[in-house]
Amino acid sequence: MIRKEINRISEVGKALISVEGNPGVALNHVVELLEADTNQSLSFAKAINITEDSTRFQVFNGTQGLSTQTKIRMHEVPLSAGFSHNMLGRSFDGVGDVADGGPEIIFEKEVSTRLDTLNPTVRLVPKQPLWTGIPMIDVFNTLVKSQKIPIFAGPTEPYNRLLSQIAQGAQADVIIFAGIGLKFDEYHYFKEQLSQSGNIDKTIMFSHLAGDSQIKGLMLPDVALSVAREFADQGKDVLVLLTDMTNWSNILRNVANYQDQIPSLQGYPGSLYSELAKRYEVAADIEGAGSITIIGATTLESLEDPVPDNTGYITEGQFFLESGKLKLARSLSRLKQQVNGDTRSDHRPIMTAMASLLADAEKAYEAAEVGAANDAFSQKLLRYREDFIANMEEPFGDPIELNAALDRCWDILKRHFEPTETGLSKKLIDEYWK
Amino acid sequence: MNNTNKTRTGTLIAIQDSLVKARFFSNVIMGETAQIMVDGKSLQAEVLQIAPDPKNPEAGIAEMQVFEDLTGAQIGATVEFTGKPLSVLLGPGLLTSIWDGLQNPLYKLSEQNAYLVPGMKAAALDEEKLWDFTPSVAVGDVVSGGDAIGTVPEGRLNHKILVPFNFDKCTVESIIEKKSVNITETVAVIRDKQDVKHDVKLAFRWAVKSPIPFKSRAIPSKTISTGVRVIDFLAPVSYGGTVGNPGPFGAGKTVLQHSLCKYALADIIIMAACGERAGEAVEVFKDFAELEDPSTGDSLMNRMCIFGNTSSMPVAAREASVFIALTVGEYYRYQGYSVVLLADSTSRWAQALRERSGRQGDIPGPEAFPMDIPDQIKGMYQRAGADEGTGGSLTFIGTVSPAGGNFQEPVTQATMDATGGFWGLSQDRADAKKYPAIDPLAYTSSVYDSFISWTDRNKMLQTLDEANGIDQTISTIGLKKVPLEKYVLYQKGLTIDFCVMQQNAFHEQDACTRPDRLVIINEAVQKLIDSSIQFAQEGMEDEEVKVLVKNKFDELRQWWRDWNGTAVSSEEQAVLPQKVEQFILQEEYSL
Repeated sequence: MIRKEINRISEVGKALISVEGNPGVALNHVVELLEADTNQSLSFAKAINITEDSTRFQVFNGTQGLSTQTKIRMHEVPLSAGFSHNMLGRSFDGVGDVADGGPEIIFEKEVSTRLDTLNPTVRLVPKQPLWTGIPMIDVFNTLVKSQKIPIFAGPTEPYNRLLSQIAQGAQADVIIFAGIGLKFDEYHYFKEQLSQSGNIDKTIMFSHLAGDSQIKGLMLPDVALSVAREFADQGKDVLVLLTDMTNWSNILRNVANYQDQIPSLQGYPGSLYSELAKRYEVAADIEGAGSITIIGATTLESLEDPVPDNTGYITEGQFFLESGKLKLARSLSRLKQQVNGDTRSDHRPIMTAMASLLADAEKAYEAAEVGAANDAFSQKLLRYREDFIANMEEPFGDPIELNAALDRCWDILKRHFEPTETGLSKKLIDEYWK
Repeated sequence: MNNTNKTRTGTLIAIQDSLVKARFFSNVIMGETAQIMVDGKSLQAEVLQIAPDPKNPEAGIAEMQVFEDLTGAQIGATVEFTGKPLSVLLGPGLLTSIWDGLQNPLYKLSEQNAYLVPGMKAAALDEEKLWDFTPSVAVGDVVSGGDAIGTVPEGRLNHKILVPFNFDKCTVESIIEKKSVNITETVAVIRDKQDVKHDVKLAFRWAVKSPIPFKSRAIPSKTISTGVRVIDFLAPVSYGGTVGNPGPFGAGKTVLQHSLCKYALADIIIMAACGERAGEAVEVFKDFAELEDPSTGDSLMNRMCIFGNTSSMPVAAREASVFIALTVGEYYRYQGYSVVLLADSTSRWAQALRERSGRQGDIPGPEAFPMDIPDQIKGMYQRAGADEGTGGSLTFIGTVSPAGGNFQEPVTQATMDATGGFWGLSQDRADAKKYPAIDPLAYTSSVYDSFISWTDRNKMLQTLDEANGIDQTISTIGLKKVPLEKYVLYQKGLTIDFCVMQQNAFHEQDACTRPDRLVIINEAVQKLIDSSIQFAQEGMEDEEVKVLVKNKFDELRQWWRDWNGTAVSSEEQAVLPQKVEQFILQEEYSL
């Protein structure tokens, strides 16, 4: 097949190029950039803005080294991702090219990266718990198959360690790792962890390192999620690890600025919410097929930053990591109600009672700082708070089964309170307060 | 509207995301819909702006938003203008349906593909289903827009077949006998004043941005029983009222919406799932279908319909989804039914407008929202209301998702200005898992007397307010320095908050409280507020007394919480005020 070529690039900017006129390229279709003299392939690019006067492209490998002489070859198809079972155990870049130095993959098929919305009627209501062995998750914020949930954490928190710990215990057929803007040590850490846990043969890694081409980072979630979706369509339960979506959002912000879009908050484009939602909404339990669960990482300075704020409205809760602990107050699994009614009878009530007492304890803690927590009950609350942080909010330790974790909850309550102080019903007290 | 005979077409000259420009030579109407050909499929668009063509004085340029993904679109593609504005099909079969934001039925689309790919279409209402039509007018009768010419049963409702609202004083030329018909068959022919004949069918299309009129608009006056205590006690909403419900993420907007879906006493609930999680809409139509309607015992889905433009669906259709849902609500209001429209979330709707205006290059207002966003929000809420003439009502409850949980942002502010009620969800209460997290001290309601008197409501509020103040005092100066009587007042407030304002939405009994039970609870609450209780015994230190007070109140609260979850029969319910009485007198009572 002879592909049409264009010879005149009129504008080269950061990550973007333009040509004059309209060469007949369609929206979101891919073109290849070639060295003028040697025809050597330099990069691929995608048409993002077309008028009869000019056409603008996002360049996957960045624009360094491109000139007005660079040739453009049209491919007349939108960006697709190669799919093959042979991808398991291998490592790729943001547009799905082999990145581990291993042999090229012969793909079984090309899958669309458009991430069309799954028809909601084909979604199953999620009802299967994913146990992690972490009490703060299993007891207080149970994770559910097909959930989309990020870890919110400051940049120096061990969020990648937590992500990797959850992944290691996860009951998934396929793990897709999607890393954007990673530091090399983070990339290396995940690779080591996945190898050590014996999961590497069911893992595909898509990695974009900090400093790599921005457009490749921008595309990475779409490529990774499209491959994940193909596995799910084939009946597999897929776990996707997305880290760090703040890096991704920052690339989105940069590219929007290169395109002169009007920023809304802190320079992010007004479409930030929709763009994040488009990716996270890929998580689904699909009728007659498999499922996709997404656990992400979102680094933040403040919860009010646009990225965590928008993410919170999109995802089904969040795990909040602070000072190395999973904090109860700000963590939430929106799907826990789907599964925690079928566990032990004390599960829901003790969760509520302990949370309510912890909120009181936080108040007492603040009062204590000004010397106002001087009554006996406040003192009880303060001791309870310490116990709770040490024994419930610690995510890194030996995995513990749900019922044992619930027993641990009762032990903590008994150490500090009288039965009526817990707000738990008499029936439960009679059954469990031994 | 100008109906030109020949098809009017144009050609695409610019494409960016969901916004396109087309050159045309004939005529284009502001707001009309158009079809754009992409890869052999036709995609729906809406004209937003018409401008001259700087390159060709003979031509014009129509700027349009496209409701579907434009991947593959090319310059030069043909655009076909339809002459018709964006509209919704109104008729029997609306209830129980689940559509996308443009009224494509999602179950029908799923027969074609598990994914929503651009260009898929299906008839909005089932065209084959037969409805038992009973005429209510005769040949020679004069009818106008909104008059019923007959009825069909739709589930438990009597669905009136209305003359489209734009007709005035038409004569019935013919009408069919009682018969089973589908929505495409003509059931009557009417002749207008210009002697033009029109077919009337069971269903007709209506432009979504033209509000369906009221017969006789009235001030909303009757309170809805929502089943949610903090709302029904402190922030009630009337049939035909409007409420804005802002809250940061995780504060419980979704659970509250689901509670309202399940328990609000209304004939019809419409959900506009606008730019939010797909899973939540799915939970409603898959799980709620198995739940009983509280007033009829029927499946809950039989009183519902859902428009789902969830967050990953094309943004341009988000705006349309809310207007379509409003129009359906107005249609049932005109039939005399009470309709509650839940729009989740109006912030996503406003963001869709923001994305669009940004692409159009409009000068941005605060936080880059369009400058006129407050007017657009007001206009939307104004379409709710009560109709004395038909006895119907449309109540509009819109959630707001303020960026950063900050109620000062433009959409929350405009919503507070536009609505009669305001349920602010508090992050602090949510963090303490005090649900529903509507802050009893941060709400407004334009309803005065509801299930309990204005005076009782104010006393309740005052106690909560004072208890909150004492709580802060305790946190700053410590319990020791707080006088005993203040501490008792604090415990009273705590009890009202813990046992009445907080409610477990997932508990079978506790999830919904009806007015008869509210009255009993109020009796107990008022007794508690008015009481002066003697706790101190001879020789007790202040600190000892306070410990005693706390223990006594803890016992009461535990008992009351149990009562919330168990007391079902009227005898069991009546026990509450007696227990509180015994508590006040400090008599021994069994727990």
